[in-house]
Amino acid sequence: MSFKDEEQVSKDDNHEDEEEEAVISEEDSDLDEFEDEETTRNLVVPGEILTTDTKTYLPGRGTLLTPDRSKIISLNIGLKQTKKNYINVIPLRGFYTPRPGDKVIALVTDKNPVKYRCDINAKDDAVLKPKNTMKRGRISRGMRGGPPDRNNSNAEMYDVGDILIAKVLSADRLNSPELTTVGKYLGKKNNGIVISIDPPKIPRVIGRDGSMIKNLKNLTKSTIFVTQNGRIWLKGEDIAHERLLIDAIRKIEREAHTVGLTDRMIEFIENEKKKRGLK
Amino acid sequence: MPLVIKDEYPEKLFREDGKRLDGREKTELRPIKMEVGVIENADGSAYLEWGNNKIYAAVYGPREVHPHHLAKPDSGILRVFYRMTTYSVFERKRPAPGRREKEISMVITDCLKPLLFLELYPGTAFEVFIEVMDADGGTRCASTTVAALALADAGIPMKSLVTAVAVGKIDDQLVVDLSGIEDKAGQADLPCAITWFNEELSLLQFDGDMNIEQMDEFLKLAKSALSEIYELQLQALKKKYIAIQEEVSGGNT
Repeated sequence: MSFKDEEQVSKDDNHEDEEEEAVISEEDSDLDEFEDEETTRNLVVPGEILTTDTKTYLPGRGTLLTPDRSKIISLNIGLKQTKKNYINVIPLRGFYTPRPGDKVIALVTDKNPVKYRCDINAKDDAVLKPKNTMKRGRISRGMRGGPPDRNNSNAEMYDVGDILIAKVLSADRLNSPELTTVGKYLGKKNNGIVISIDPPKIPRVIGRDGSMIKNLKNLTKSTIFVTQNGRIWLKGEDIAHERLLIDAIRKIEREAHTVGLTDRMIEFIENEKKKRGLK
Repeated sequence: MPLVIKDEYPEKLFREDGKRLDGREKTELRPIKMEVGVIENADGSAYLEWGNNKIYAAVYGPREVHPHHLAKPDSGILRVFYRMTTYSVFERKRPAPGRREKEISMVITDCLKPLLFLELYPGTAFEVFIEVMDADGGTRCASTTVAALALADAGIPMKSLVTAVAVGKIDDQLVVDLSGIEDKAGQADLPCAITWFNEELSLLQFDGDMNIEQMDEFLKLAKSALSEIYELQLQALKKKYIAIQEEVSGGNT
């Protein structure tokens, strides 16, 4: 399919400068659990007993009440957290499970006339149907209200190997997830770098109320788009800034389970800037 | 002239001073070293040195099942591939998987299955690859132990870890953790594994001869050895993260 013409490419480039705001919208409020004050830095491993006091505490995420109701055990390797009377375990390792509404960075791996297949770092490939790439607006018709002009359709055309920012429309454990590229900040990316990290550490890159990501953005003068499937799109002023940012994100990933990470990262970036001679 | 070494076992498996041939007490384990996260491209991985055994385990999943007909519509599947390298044993092992490998793969699969929530991942597979680099008795136990570590390192929700050890009878005495030579020349060999969330046996095989009264003694011996190994497993899993915590806080945590 080569319906795409030059104009559409340039149109794509135009809305790149919106990303400054895109970052903020990405922070889910319930994902700042890493920074919670009640999150102990206690590491737990699968099978470890979290509490034997099952009267006051309830099993939350990542935990299991044993069938005899005598204790709550952990299911993941992670950090123990007590929220009200729930005991949760925040995992340190894991895989991405798509949920409706998540924004993801997808890589188009296959296309045919009825759908695109995208790799979204989940167990199944996601499906993107052309109707979900259709921008709203008047469908352009040919002369005298003839059939829709296929060369000037509102559907965006993608190619195998394209990087898309998409939203998950539907996902469950049986069917492959469905994506859409219609919406704010969604669509194809023509530049920048995509890196992937462990999906459970994404909340740490965002930080509480987006504090970490704001610092990263301001200190390295870059635009970042963080998505739930463990992929991060970034673009900086030049390659040196991008490298610094990637190093910083790798450091966050490595030290995700430690305290005072935001302050440490600011210090790290400022030191590295001096070392590398960046402004 | 080719080097020919006959299969000769010593007559006695205990030394003059009452210790075993490698200088261990009866209930002493061989030295164990574990590490997680050794294979970068795997979702989870672990490495184990147990005496002379050297074993790698790598976990991938959940992911699509190939061949596709193995996939179950209502639950995920667990596949374990136990393989020995050609140089892991004294006489070159033929590289094709044989009867023994298939059996051990099956035994380890059954051992790990009760730990996982496979019903949450229909149509997918968790795959565990166990590669024995060096073998010296008790590889099925060591493989089970290291596979559990690799699964936990991959972040797959699981009820608890599983630990395995072999107990046996040599020269009419009960001993823990048989080495290769004790395994071959001894009288009985009983590998067993325990799942810690319900403290039930998940693997129990038996080879040799003994009476039923000794069975209880065997299992009692195994239990204490298993708890010892379990502690090492927990430490190995946490070590990676605690090291980073200490590094950033200057050793104050």
